[in-house]
Amino acid sequence: MLKEYPGRVRLIFKDLPLPSHALARPAHEAARCAGALGRYWPYHDKLFAAQPNFERADLVRYAGDVGLPVDKFTQCLDAHRFAAAVDADVEQARAIGVRSTPTFIINGRPLVGAHPVENFRSVIDEALKDAR
Amino acid sequence: MLALVLVGRGATGQTPGDITVEPTMVKGPATAPVTIVEFSDYQ
Repeated sequence: MLKEYPGRVRLIFKDLPLPSHALARPAHEAARCAGALGRYWPYHDKLFAAQPNFERADLVRYAGDVGLPVDKFTQCLDAHRFAAAVDADVEQARAIGVRSTPTFIINGRPLVGAHPVENFRSVIDEALKDAR
Repeated sequence: MLALVLVGRGATGQTPGDITVEPTMVKGPATAPVTIVEFSDYQ
């Protein structure tokens, strides 16, 4: 969508590891560690490609795969440096009524669940009209 | 509740007022007229 609407769309990713997914939380913390080390999006993309293999050894290996300094990354991961940040995202989701993933909010319009790309285009086009 | 809360407007694209933004987890310009907030689970 960002490529399709260059300069007109911004994406903000928020962590919402579901309690039923035991390995999701460390994956979210790991992604934030990658972000702190300057490689958030490559690591993010790696995680989605590697689902659901998120054991600690996997998370560390992926760090190396995307060019992160593995020692610093591992220190961050093991220290749970970003646990509170992930918790804060979960709380924000709860506070605004987001209960499931994925949930998209496009200029205030909620789009819940996986949708065909046409649905995103429709909501984005409408938001662009309103923004004029 | 979702629809009631999501009326906050950011400086450009609308962002729910209670949503914080971690700069490393953002793609696209801050001046974009449309903001997509995605809540997702890696697993």
